[in-house]
Parts: sequence; structure tokens; C-alpha cells
Amino acid sequence: MSNVIAQIEQQIAQLSSKATKKNTGVITAVADGVAKVEGLSDVMYNEMVSFPGGVIGIALNLGEDEVGCVVLGDVSNLKAGDEVSTTGKLLSIPVGKAVLGRVVDALGRPIDGKGPIDAKESYPVERIAPGIIARKSVNQPLFTGIMAIDSMIPIGRGQRELIIGDRGTGKTTICVDTIINQARINKVGLASGDKNFRPVYSIYVAVGQKQSNVVRTISALEAADALQYTIIVAATAGDNPANQYIAPFSGAALGEWFMENGMDALIVYDDLSKHAVAYRQISLILKRPSGREAYPGDVFYLHSRLLERAARLDGKGSLTALPVIETQAGDVSAYIPTNVISITDGQIFLETDLFNQGIRPAVSVGLSVSRVGSSAQIKVTKQVGGKLKGELAQFRELAAFAQFGSDLDAKTKATLDRGSRIVELFKQLQLNPIAIEVQASLLWALQKNYFDSIEVKHIVAAANSLKDFLTTRKADLLTKIRNEAKLSDEIEAGLKAAGDEWKNTFSAK
Amino acid sequence: MAADKQTKLLAKQLFKLSVVNGAVSPEQVTGVLGWVEKTSPRRPIALLKLYQHLIATELAKSHARVEHAGPVAAATLGAIAAALTKKYQRPVTATAQPNPKLLAGLRIRVGSDVYESSVAGQLASLSV
Repeated sequence: MSNVIAQIEQQIAQLSSKATKKNTGVITAVADGVAKVEGLSDVMYNEMVSFPGGVIGIALNLGEDEVGCVVLGDVSNLKAGDEVSTTGKLLSIPVGKAVLGRVVDALGRPIDGKGPIDAKESYPVERIAPGIIARKSVNQPLFTGIMAIDSMIPIGRGQRELIIGDRGTGKTTICVDTIINQARINKVGLASGDKNFRPVYSIYVAVGQKQSNVVRTISALEAADALQYTIIVAATAGDNPANQYIAPFSGAALGEWFMENGMDALIVYDDLSKHAVAYRQISLILKRPSGREAYPGDVFYLHSRLLERAARLDGKGSLTALPVIETQAGDVSAYIPTNVISITDGQIFLETDLFNQGIRPAVSVGLSVSRVGSSAQIKVTKQVGGKLKGELAQFRELAAFAQFGSDLDAKTKATLDRGSRIVELFKQLQLNPIAIEVQASLLWALQKNYFDSIEVKHIVAAANSLKDFLTTRKADLLTKIRNEAKLSDEIEAGLKAAGDEWKNTFSAK
Repeated sequence: MAADKQTKLLAKQLFKLSVVNGAVSPEQVTGVLGWVEKTSPRRPIALLKLYQHLIATELAKSHARVEHAGPVAAATLGAIAAALTKKYQRPVTATAQPNPKLLAGLRIRVGSDVYESSVAGQLASLSV
């Protein structure tokens, strides 16, 4: 009983008699997640303000007579005449490893029903990106597990690589595959006991997505046992535009904690087209001048300040960003796509035609590029996949002549044969990332003509057979490739022996 | 208060004319009202409502509303007015207003600033 009394006394002692000052205002109008407030004469830009009922907002428009605030929560109980007060704080969210495996909203509050998050630290949602001095060039690989990407459009830790394409072309699938692959690599790396191993933690930010899609993504990550290394920030289509606007910045804050604390993280913004639409909605209600496609003038800065927060820091960790943009009818020259293309370090363009032809992932090799990733590519991938992009480009150029097959010279036919085999080899099932050592082995087999005698329609089956053969019977060789990361004479001899052995056992049915 | 840009601008100009040495001058306000009556500008009701709002906001900056749960001595009100006059560098008057919801302590409102020293306010801050 005395404990209870002591507790109450302690609480009373905490209630200091010192007066606290706050600056207040009055709501004059509320519309679509935005409140106009009169007063708040001392409010600062981006300062968190407190509405009645524990609802919080951010002061975005500081006018002479009124302040425009985005409301991050339920606006249904707010009305004109309600009092608003400043908090003197910037919007912050809980960060750290405690958030891993959780699904949170744009303010970092758990929405997965797994109870409160025991986070020790919080980071501001809006933060200035690291400067030039603090940065280091990208030279460590981040494997997506997708052969077409890892071999031709490699991504490095700290890079910003845009995933762009029409709806239903597999953009989210590539991102989810990449997250699953990080979890797979983390498990192998942590189990190996290698002290130099650096796990990659993932953050998936769903902006304006259907709730059913987010549930599907969570289920896929859970099924692959990848959720334990992942944080999901969800601001779905049902959330108000203010939450959709702030969600990517919250995700970036979560990622920055890993980066600042010497760890590596991957963040997926799915997608920034809907993010721009949410921002447009807020800006129009705030009566900011609209420009092209009715987007406000600072929509470029919106995405550049977000993506600049992805970096590799000298002496610390890295934050790799995979922003997603949805195009309309393959138009990459629209306003938001061109903006984000110019900010990022490359793009992976997914084509509807390729997707419909059954070439999945539908990566368009011609339009896809990685500007900094090649310096992060490991030697073995360079050795076996260095010529692939050129061979595929030649194949695409000559593909138009494929219908006149019999009239072609031997060299052209050989180019077409090789190209069609590469296209088949790059076909990959979703949620099925391939380890880099297996990718290297398959590409080595392709370069050494092991697939030449197999009909094109059987290449996928042959590749799967070789993959199974290597993983089940040549695990030591794969481990060696993974550890050495280059094609030594010994490894090449091992691959040759394995290839010959597999060739004798494989028969296409 | 649907007023156009021109009306807002005129209301602000009239407000500026009404402030002399950082304080609202009753003579100037009378003069402004006379001018409005005489010249009958566009949208006079909207103009006067805006003007009234600006004057009221300015007056609120020089007036402290002291909400209290228990009794407040006149000397305390005087001390509060003196302290706020010093802080804001302009004459501030104080009036008491009973508010039993505060439980104990005071809440002082000067313009858009609120000084909270009540038990109700502190309990509310604990619940956040």
C-alpha cells in the first residue's frame, strides 16, 4: 500500500508548479485532412501542432493571417472554433530494431495488433540529407536475387534505383523479391558467424496502395520468413492524404537509424506516383500555386529531398532506395516519372509487352540502366555476365529478322539463338530469388554453351534442373563461389565437372 | 467572413491607421468608422467585420484573461499585469475570470499565448 502512496506522491512531485507557455490558435476551416488555423503566431515551419482529442498535425503553410496545417489523424471530430496549440517539436517516429517485424502507420504507431513497440529512440520525420563530406561512393553490392537485374543492372548499397512501369508489370514483385533475398542472405550470413557480414534490413513503405495488396505483401514476406528483417509502413488508399504524404519520410527516418548506426538498410517506396498525387491534393487545398499537371512547384523538391536521404555514409552504414513509379501507357516522359528518373541513379523499366509475352520479370534491357551499380558488382558476375547486355541488345536489334530464319547467315542465327536462350534463362518465378552464386553458375553454363544443344522452349526447365543439381549436390562449390566472389581456375574446373555431370543426367522431356 | 482580396487589403490599411504608438487609439477608430459611413466602400459589412476582427486581435494582445479556480487577490492580478507588461514591452491589463474546471491554479491568456499553471492543464499534459 505504501508503494502506491509513494507512486502517487512521486507523480504529484512531477507536477511542477512552474507555468508552461504554449501558443494557440483557432480552427477556421477543415477540409480533406487540412485545417486552416487563425492565431499560432509563434508556430515554426513543419512544427507539430496539437488538435483537440490528441490529434496531431504539421504546420505547412505559414501565412500572415492564418496557418495551414495537415492533420495526421481523424479529422471527423475537428470543427471550426476548436483550439490548436503548438508543441515546440518536430514530428518524430519511434526507430530501432524494436520496429523490425512490425507493421506501422505513417506516425510509427503499430497497426498489426502485436502490441506496443518498445523503441528506445525516435527520429524526426523530416531531416536534411547527409552532405557531401559524410558520403562515400557506392561500391558494395545489394543483390536482388533477380538474375536479369543482378547481372545487367546491378544495384549497390546506398544507391537509388527507380522501378518504373505500367500497372501490373511486376514492380512490387521485384521489390518484394529483393526484400526476401535480403532476408535469405541475412540468415545465411548470420548463421556463418562471419564477423564482417553486414545484414540488410528492409523497409517497405506502401503509399496509396489497396489494403488487400498490402496484406498480400505482408503474407508473402511472412511466408518467406522475411518479416523479421522488415518494417512495413502502411499509408493505404483509405488513409487521409496527409498520412500518405508523410509515410515515405517516416520510412526514410526508420532507414536512417540503421544507416547512422553502422548498419545497412533497404527502403522501398511503393509508390511515389501516388505520393505525388496525395501531395498535389494537400497543396491544392492549401491554395498553393499549381503548375504542370496541377502539381505544385515544389513536387520535384518533395522527391529529391526524400531520395537524397538514401546514401552510403563514410564510416557508417547505408540506405538503399528503390522508389517505384507507375506510368500510364508506358509514358516515361510524364512529369513525375521524368522528375524521379533525374533524381535516381538509374532505373529498371518494366514493359507491358514483355510481361504479356511471358517474359517475367519484364525488364526492358534497352531502357534500364544502373549508373553506379557496376562498381558494386562482384567480380564473378562481371566475369560471367559482362557481355550479356551487349548480346541481348544485338539480339533485340536482329529479332525483327527472326521470322526469316532460313535466309539468315550463320553469325546472325548464332546471335539470335544466344539471345533467345538468354531471354529464357532470365525468366524467373516470382517470390523465388536466386542466390548470386547460383546465378553466376547458370550464367557460366550459358557462356560455356551448356544450353546450346537444348531447345529454347526447354531452357527454363534446364536452368531449374541445373539450379537444383548445384544446390543439392554441389553446395561446397557454391559456398566457394560465394566466399571467393571470383572465378578462379579451381572454381572453373569445379563448375566444368559439375556441368558435365549435370549434362549427362539432364534430359528435356 | 467571405471577403475578397481588396476588402482584406483595405481592412488592414484601416487597422494600421487605428494603431498609434503600438496601441489601438479610440479616436482613430472613431475616425475610421466615420470614414466608412461617409464613403460607403465596397462590401462594407465584410470590411467592418474584418476590421473588427483585427482590432479585437490587437486588443487581446494587451489584455490578459486570468482564469482561476480559487480566489485571486487584486494584488496578484496587478503583479500579473506588471510582469506581462514587462515581458511584452507594452501595457497589458489583467481581468479575472473564474473557471472551476481548472481544479486549482491559473491559466493566463494574452493574445494567442497561453500560460498554463493549472492542475487540469498538467493532468491533461500527463495523459498525452
